[in-house]
Amino acid sequence: MELQLALALPVHNSVKGFDLNDGDIESKEPVASQLWSYGGSLESKKCLKNKRSSEEAFGKMGGGVPQTFPLMVWSGQPNEEDDRKGQNRKTSSIVNKNEVEENHAVGWPPIKSWMKKQLHQQQQQQGGRVKNDGVAERSGGRNSLYVKVKMEGVAIARKIDLRLFHSYQALTNTLISMFDREQKFDKNGVSYTLTYQDKEGDWLLAGDVPWQTFIESVQRLGIVRNGG
Amino acid sequence: MMNYFPDEVLEHVFDFVTSHRDRNAVSLVCKLWFRVERFSRQRVFIGNCYAISPERLVTRFPGVKALTLKGKPHFADFNLVPQDWGGYVQPWIEALARSRIGLEELRLKRMVVSDESLDVLSRSFTNFKSLVLVSCEGFTTDGLSAIAANCRFLRELDLQENEIEEKKNHWLGCFPDSCTSLVSLNFACLKEINLVALEKLVARNPNLKSLKLNRAVPLEALQRILMRAPQLVDLGTGSFVLDHDSDDSETYRKLKATILKCRSIRNLSGFLEVTPRCLPAIYPICFNLTYLNLSYAAGIHGSELIKLIRFCGKLQRLWILDYIGDKGLEVVASTCKDLQELRVFPSDFFGAGHAAVTETGLVAISTGCPKLNSLLYFCQQMTNAALIAVAKNCPNFIRFRLCILDPTKPDPVTMQPLDEGFGAIVQSSKRLRRLSLSGLLTDRVFLYIGMYAEQLEMLSIAFAGESDKGMVYVLNGCKKLRKLEIRDSPFGDMALLRDVGKYETMRSLWMSSCEVTLGACKTLAEKMPRLNVEIINENDQMEFGHEDSEKVEKMYLYRTLVGPRKDAPEFVWTLV
Repeated sequence: MELQLALALPVHNSVKGFDLNDGDIESKEPVASQLWSYGGSLESKKCLKNKRSSEEAFGKMGGGVPQTFPLMVWSGQPNEEDDRKGQNRKTSSIVNKNEVEENHAVGWPPIKSWMKKQLHQQQQQQGGRVKNDGVAERSGGRNSLYVKVKMEGVAIARKIDLRLFHSYQALTNTLISMFDREQKFDKNGVSYTLTYQDKEGDWLLAGDVPWQTFIESVQRLGIVRNGG
Repeated sequence: MMNYFPDEVLEHVFDFVTSHRDRNAVSLVCKLWFRVERFSRQRVFIGNCYAISPERLVTRFPGVKALTLKGKPHFADFNLVPQDWGGYVQPWIEALARSRIGLEELRLKRMVVSDESLDVLSRSFTNFKSLVLVSCEGFTTDGLSAIAANCRFLRELDLQENEIEEKKNHWLGCFPDSCTSLVSLNFACLKEINLVALEKLVARNPNLKSLKLNRAVPLEALQRILMRAPQLVDLGTGSFVLDHDSDDSETYRKLKATILKCRSIRNLSGFLEVTPRCLPAIYPICFNLTYLNLSYAAGIHGSELIKLIRFCGKLQRLWILDYIGDKGLEVVASTCKDLQELRVFPSDFFGAGHAAVTETGLVAISTGCPKLNSLLYFCQQMTNAALIAVAKNCPNFIRFRLCILDPTKPDPVTMQPLDEGFGAIVQSSKRLRRLSLSGLLTDRVFLYIGMYAEQLEMLSIAFAGESDKGMVYVLNGCKKLRKLEIRDSPFGDMALLRDVGKYETMRSLWMSSCEVTLGACKTLAEKMPRLNVEIINENDQMEFGHEDSEKVEKMYLYRTLVGPRKDAPEFVWTLV
C-alpha cells in the first residue's frame, strides 16, 4: 500500500503500537507525551508500559557534563538504536546523574508540577471525550490533536494524534502501519490517497499546504482508494 | 522627641507604617518603639516557617490578626524536594489557638496542612475571615467542610493550586444558610463540586466579588451564577464548553445576554476546558479587563487567542500559553499598551518547537509595552541582541525570569553565551528584585549581576557558570540578596565558604547537583550556629559511611533563631 505523497523523507517504522481505539487512548499512550514522565505518578505508570517505544523515540543522549545534555529532543525522526540504559522512572524526585543522562532532568523546565499535571489531565480528558455517535471533531489540548481517520473499505475509523508528527511523511508512515495491520491488502498496485477535511468542510488533498497550515485546519482524515 | 509622646500616639503614628520591612525597622529603633510596635502589630509575615517558632511569634505579637507563612523551598514546586520534607502548619495553629490570639487571616504557601489543622483553625478563632492556601497539600475536602461549617464570618476562601483529596462529602453545602459574608471564593483546583450548593451559596452572598470555578461547573451553571452575581470583579470560569445538543444555542444566547450585565469584571481566568466558538460571548467584557489569565486554557489556540486579545486594550497583566506565538505577541504589543506583567508558559515541554515563542516575540513586546516590569517567559531560544534591545526598551523590570527550554542553549545567531544579554538587563533595570537565568552562561554573567543588580533579592540559577568565581561575584556584589537557589552548576566549596556571614543576611540558599562537598557543609554548619544546614539525601542512610569529600546532592540552608528542627524526616540531615 502506498500513499501518494511525494515527499522525500526517510521512512521510519519504529512508531508501532498505534492502535488507538476510541475511548481507550490511555492504555496506549502516544510516545511523545510520555517524554515528561518524572515526578508524577500519572505519567510514570504509562511510561513503564511503553518503555520500549520511549527508548526508541529518544536519540542518544549522554555526557555527564551538564552543558552537553540535550533535554528535549524530539525530532520526529527517532533513532534506530535502542537506548538500553536502565530507564528507571521513579515518581520521587531523585536527582542523580543517571537520570540526567536518561534524557530528562527532574524539575526542568521549571514549571509548577501542579500546572503540568493539570494540563496533562486536560489533554487526556479532551482526547478521550468522544461522542458515541461517532461525530467527534478534532479535539485535544495542549499536547494532542486527535482527528478521525477513515479508510475507504474499512468499517471502523481510527483516531490519531497529529501533534506527534511534524511532517506528512511521518504521518503517512504511521497511517500505513496503522491500517496495514487491520487489512489484508492486495499488494498488486492498489494505491491510496490521503485526504483531509478542512475547517470549511471541504475535502482536500493532503500535502499541498505546509504542515503547520495543515495542522491548524484539519478536521479529519480520509484515505481513499485510487482508480479501480 | 518621640519619647515625650504617650504610647498611644506612637501607636497611631505606627498605624501608618504598613509594610513589614518598615515595621521591622521601626521596631529596631529603641526599646520603647520595639514595645509599642510589637503590641500594635497586626500583620506578620514569616517567609520561612523554620526561622522562628510559633511560641516566639505568639509571645512577641500577641495582637496578631493576619499571618503569612511559607514552608518548603521554592524548588519544591519542581519536584526537587521529596515528599515529607516538612513545612507543617499544625504547630502554628495549635500555638495560636492556645494563646487565644484573635486570628482573622491566614495565608500559607507550600505548607503541609491537615484536616485536623483546618478543624482546629475553624473552631479556635471566632472572627476568622480569610484563608488562602497556595501550593499546599495534606488535606481533604473534610477540612474544607470544617472551615465552611464553623467560620461564621468567613469572607475569603482561596485555594490556589493545592493538592486536595476530594471525598464524597459536599463540603460546599456545609456553609450554613446564615453565611452571607463571602467576598472571595476560589475552588478552581478541585475536580468536583456540588452545583446546587454552589448556586445557592452565590445567591445568598451578595458581596461576592471574586469567584473562581472549577472544571465541574458547566456553561449553563455559569450563566445562572452570573445572573445572581453580576457584581463580580474577578471571575474564573470552569468549563466553557458547548456540546452538540440542540438546547445549546439557547444556553449560548442566554450566556451572552447575562455577560453583558457583568460590567464590573476586571480579572478573567479559567477556561479549563473550552469550545473556542463560545469565546465571542466574553468579548464584551474584554474591553475592561486588566488581568487575563489563560495559562490553563489549553483549548484556545492561535487565531482564536489572537482575536480575543485584540479586544483587551486595557490589559495590565497577561498570563498565556505559548500558543500565542511570536505573531500573537506582536498583536499583544500593539493592543495592550498598558501591559505591566507578561507570563508566557510553555505548551510543549519537549521544546520541539511547534507552538513556541522566540526572541522575536519578546522584542516586539518590549517595543510596544514600555511599562513592562514583570516577565516570565518560556521560549525556544534567545539572543543577546534581543535582550539588549529589551533592556533598552524596558528599563523598569522588577522581575525578569527567562526560561529557555533547552537550558544550555547559546545565542543561536552568534553561538555565544547569553552573558551580555542578561548583563544588559541588570544594568538597565536598576530596580530589579528577582532574576532567573537560563541558556548558555559563563562566570561573566555573574560578574555583571554582582556589579549591577543592587536591588536583587532573589536569584535562580540553573546549568550556568564555569567556576566558583561566578557564585562569589553574586555573594559579594548583591547586598540585598535574600534567596539564592542554584541547581546543576559548577559551584563548590570555595564559593560556599568564602563569606559564611553572608548567609545570615539571607533567608535561604539552595544548592543541588553542584560541586559542594559534605565536608564543606559541615565546616559551614560548625562556623554558623544560627544556620540550619540541611542535607537532603533520599538514596541511602544518613550519617553513616559518608566521606567528607563526597559531593552533596541537595543542600538547603537557612538562617534560624531556633536551631535544628525537630520534625525533619529521615532523609534530611541537619548538620551541626
